[in-house]
Amino acid sequence: MAEHHFRVWRGDDDGGKLADYTVEVNEGEVVLDVIHRLQATQTPDLAVRWNCKAGKCGSCSAEINGTPRLLCMTRMSTFDPNETVTVTPLRAFPVVRDLVTDVSFNYQKARELPAFAPPADLKPGEYRMQQVDVERSQEFRKCIECFLCQNTCHVIRDHEDNKQAFAGPRVMIRAAELDMHPLDAKTDRKEFAAEEQGMGYCNITKCCTEVCPEHIKITDNAIIPMKERAVDRRYDPLVWLGSKIFKRSDA
Amino acid sequence: MRTTAPDVSASGPLSYDVVIVGGGAAGLRAAIAVAETAPALSVAIVSKVYPMRSHTVSAEGGAAAVIKDVDSLDEHFRDTVSGGDWLCDQDAVEFFVEEAPKELLRLEHWGCPWSREPDGHVAVRPFGGMKQQRTWFAADKTGFHLLHALFQTSLKHQQIVRHDEWFATKLLVDDGRVGGVAGIELATGRIETIAAKAVILCTGGCGRVYPFTTNANIKTGDGMALAYRAGGPLKDMEFVQYHPTGLPFTGILITEAARAEGGWLLNRDGYRYLQDYDLGKPEPHPVFKSMELGPRDRLSQAFVKEMEKGRTIPTSYGPIVHLDLRHLGEQTIDTKLPFVRELCRDYERIDPVRELIPVRPVVHYMMGGVHTDIDGAAGVAGLYAAGETACVSINGANRLGSNSLPECLVFGARAGEAAASHAASAPGPAASLAAQAADERRRLEELLRRDGGRERVSTLRQEMQAAMEAGAGIYRSRDDLVKSVDRVHELQDRFRSVRLTDHSLTFNTELIAALELEFMLEVAGSILHSALMREESRGAHQRVDFPRRDDEQFLAHSLICRNDDGSWRIEYPPVTITRWPPGERVYGR
Ligand SMILES: Cc1cc2nc3c(=O)[nH]c(=O)nc-3n(C[C@H](O)[C@H](O)[C@H](O)COP(=O)(O)OP(=O)(O)OC[C@H]3O[C@@H](n4cnc5c(N)ncnc54)[C@H](O)[C@@H]3O)c2cc1C
Ligand code: SF4
Ligand code: SF4
Ligand code: FES
Repeated sequence: MAEHHFRVWRGDDDGGKLADYTVEVNEGEVVLDVIHRLQATQTPDLAVRWNCKAGKCGSCSAEINGTPRLLCMTRMSTFDPNETVTVTPLRAFPVVRDLVTDVSFNYQKARELPAFAPPADLKPGEYRMQQVDVERSQEFRKCIECFLCQNTCHVIRDHEDNKQAFAGPRVMIRAAELDMHPLDAKTDRKEFAAEEQGMGYCNITKCCTEVCPEHIKITDNAIIPMKERAVDRRYDPLVWLGSKIFKRSDA
Repeated sequence: MRTTAPDVSASGPLSYDVVIVGGGAAGLRAAIAVAETAPALSVAIVSKVYPMRSHTVSAEGGAAAVIKDVDSLDEHFRDTVSGGDWLCDQDAVEFFVEEAPKELLRLEHWGCPWSREPDGHVAVRPFGGMKQQRTWFAADKTGFHLLHALFQTSLKHQQIVRHDEWFATKLLVDDGRVGGVAGIELATGRIETIAAKAVILCTGGCGRVYPFTTNANIKTGDGMALAYRAGGPLKDMEFVQYHPTGLPFTGILITEAARAEGGWLLNRDGYRYLQDYDLGKPEPHPVFKSMELGPRDRLSQAFVKEMEKGRTIPTSYGPIVHLDLRHLGEQTIDTKLPFVRELCRDYERIDPVRELIPVRPVVHYMMGGVHTDIDGAAGVAGLYAAGETACVSINGANRLGSNSLPECLVFGARAGEAAASHAASAPGPAASLAAQAADERRRLEELLRRDGGRERVSTLRQEMQAAMEAGAGIYRSRDDLVKSVDRVHELQDRFRSVRLTDHSLTFNTELIAALELEFMLEVAGSILHSALMREESRGAHQRVDFPRRDDEQFLAHSLICRNDDGSWRIEYPPVTITRWPPGERVYGR
C-alpha cells in the first residue's frame, strides 16, 4: 500500500477546476479502482461512467495526464510513485459533470452511416464466406466505441466547426469494415465516406491509432486504403469494376 | 441523450406505443421486432447505459443453435432439458430450439460475422453439457459482435427512439394494466414519466447481489424488482448459476471455450478431480458432456467438495484450483483462445502457454426472473419481459452455456411481436397515472434531498452481498438461509435511513447506486425466500439438508409474489412436460 497524489477535474458545463486528493493505492490496481476509492472515502459525489471494468464496454474513457485512456485499463504501476496522476474528462466533447462528457455527437454520426445491406439474391442459410474474408474486417469490428480516437483526432478536437463535416476515425473504420464485408451489397461505401462523412479532412497523423485500446490500425488499415481506392474509383472505371468482380467471386 | 424528438409537444409528457427498458441483446431484438411487425407503432428504448455498454458485450463463448447435419433439434431439446434438471417448460424449449437457428441466420443478414469452416459454412464449437458441436461464435467476442449487429440494425428504423442513460425507477400500473414507466434522465436529473401501452423489461441479470461475480456493475436486477413491485410474480429465483472458472479477485470469466478446446481442471495434486464426481473418465481429448465439459452446476459443486477435502489451493483471495491449457500448445491458444491469453497476461500476469491459470467458481447467471408465458407476457396486462431478466423457462434449474444469447434473440423477438399486437388494440393511458407519477417524483426528490440519515449505500451493499454468499451460495441449508433472510430484512429497514451526500441533479451516480441497492435488496429477498422454501436439491439449488431431487413435491416452478404490505407468498405451478418425463441426468457415461 502506498499513498498517491491525484488531481481530478471537478465541475460541470458552467466550468470547474482540478481538485487535489491524496489517496491510498494497492498493488495491482488500475486508475478506476482509485477513482472508486475516492468515491468511497472522500467524495461520493464524483461522477464517472464505468461498467465492465475489463476494457470491453468502452464506458470509462477519460484523459490521464493529458492522454486519452480507459480508466479501467490503466495500471497504477505504470506511474512513478511520486508522480501526480491527473484525470480530466475527454476534451473534444461537452462536459456533463466531472469525468462524464456528452458523447452524443458520435452516435449522431453513426446513425448517418447506412447499415449493412444484405445481398438481395441470397436466402437465409445461403450465405457463404471464407474465414479470411471474415478476418479481414475483424480488426475493425473489435472497436468498443470508447471514442478515444474521436477525442484525440485534432480535426475534431481543435476545431469545433469541423464536427459538422468530419465524422471522425471511429466512423471511418465502420465504413471500411462494411466496405470489406464480402456480402455487403452497397457499392459506394468509400464514396460515402469521402463525400458525406468528410474523409478528406483526415491528414493521416495517426494519433487515433496511437490511443486505440483495441490496437486497431485505424489509419494504416482503414483510412489510407479507403482514401486510395476512393480516388481510384472515381477516375478509373476499370479498377472499380475489377474490385467488384473480386468481391463477388470471393463470396 | 435523446436521439430523436418525441412525437409530442416539448412540454407535454412523453408517450409511445411500446417502451422497452434495456438496450442489450434482448431489448434491441425486441425493438426491431416491434418496428418490423408493426411499423406504424412508435417504440422507445430506455437504457441506463448506452446500449453498446450493455452486459451482452461481455459474452465470449458463443450462441447455440442446430446447424450441422449430424445434429438435430431433438438433441438440442434433450441437452437443454436434462441440463436444466427437468425444470424447463418443454413447450418453450421446443419453440426455442426451432427458432434459434433462424435467429442466428437473421443476425448474419444483419451483418454479424460468424466464424467459418473451411468450406465457407458457419463454424460451430463444442460447449459444456451439449452433445454436439452447435455453438456458433464470432471469434471470442460473440456477444459483442452480436450486439453491434443488432444496434446497427436498430438504427435503420427511424421509429425506434432511444433515451440513453435513462434510469427506470417504477412501472406505472393502473387497475392491473401497465401504463408506462417513471425514471430519471441522468444527464439532467429530470424525473420523467413515459406513457406506454406496453412495456417490455429487458434489463438483464442480477449477479451484483453477490460479492464475487462475472457480472458488470449495472447487473442489479432492476427489471425483476420493477415487475415484482408492480405485482408481477418472479419465477425460480433460487436458481443462481456459478460458473466454474472465474479468475480470483477480479471475478473475470475464463470462457467455457477454454475447456471445450481441451482445457483440464486440476486440484492441488495436479489431478483431474472431476473423475471422482460421476462426470466420466479423464481422456486426453475433450469428450462431449463429460469431465470438463459437464454442466456448470456439477462442476462448481465438485469444487466445493474438493475444498472440503482440502484438495484446493489456498491463496490470499480464497481457495482455487487450476485450469491447465499448456498441452493445447501456443498455436491453438492463439487462434482459438487469444482473449484468454490476453486476460491472463493483463490480470494475473501469467502466460497460459506455460503456466497454470488459477480459477474458482463465480456467480454468473440468473436462471430465474420475471415470470412470463411463452409470449413473454408477465402476468400484468401490457407487461412483457425477455432475456436474462425473464424466466420463460428454458433454463430450468441450470442453464447450459451458449443458450442465453439465442434466448435473448428468440424471446426478445417474440415478446416484441406480442407487445406490438397488444399495443395496437390497447386503450390509451389511464388518467390516474399522473397521480402515480407525482408520487414517484415526490419519493425520488425526498431521497435526493434527505438529510440526517446515517446509513451509507456502500456499507449496506457489502453487507447484503455477504449475506447472499453465506445463505444462498453453491450449497445451502435451512439455518444459513434463515439467518440471511433476517439479515436482508434488517438491511431493508436500514435502507430507509440511507444518506446521500450528493444532492446534485446532474449525473448523480450516488443516487443511482442507492436506487439500485433498493432493487437488489428486493431481489435478494426473493432469492432467499424461494431457496428456503424449496426443500430439495435440483440443478444449481443444492440443499445439504435435502440432498435429493423430489419430483413428487417440486417438479414445479416457484412463483413468488409480493403482497401490498411487502410480505410475500409462494405458489408452485407444475412444470410443462410435453414429451420427456423426468429421468436421471447422465454425464460422462
Ligand atoms: C462474462 C459473461 C460471459 C457470457 N458469455 C455467454 C456466452 O458465451 N454465451 C451465452 O449464450 N451467454 C453468455 N453470457 C450470458 C449472456 O451474456 C447474458 O445473459 C445476456 O447477454 C443478457 O442480455 P440481456 O439483453 O438480457 O441483458 P443485458 O445485456 O445485461 O442488458 C440489460 C440492459 O438493461 C438496461 N437496464 C437495466 N436496468 C435498467 C433500468 N433500471 N433502467 C433503464 N435501463 C436499465 C441496461 O442499460 C442494459 O441496456 C455471459 C455472461 C457473462 C457475464
Ligand atoms: S489519422 Fe486522420 S482520423 Fe486519425 S487522428 Fe489523424 S486526422 Fe484524425
Ligand atoms: S477505434 Fe479504437 S479508439 Fe476508436 S472508438 Fe473504437 S476502440 Fe475506441
Ligand atoms: S469500465 Fe468498461 S471499458 Fe472501462
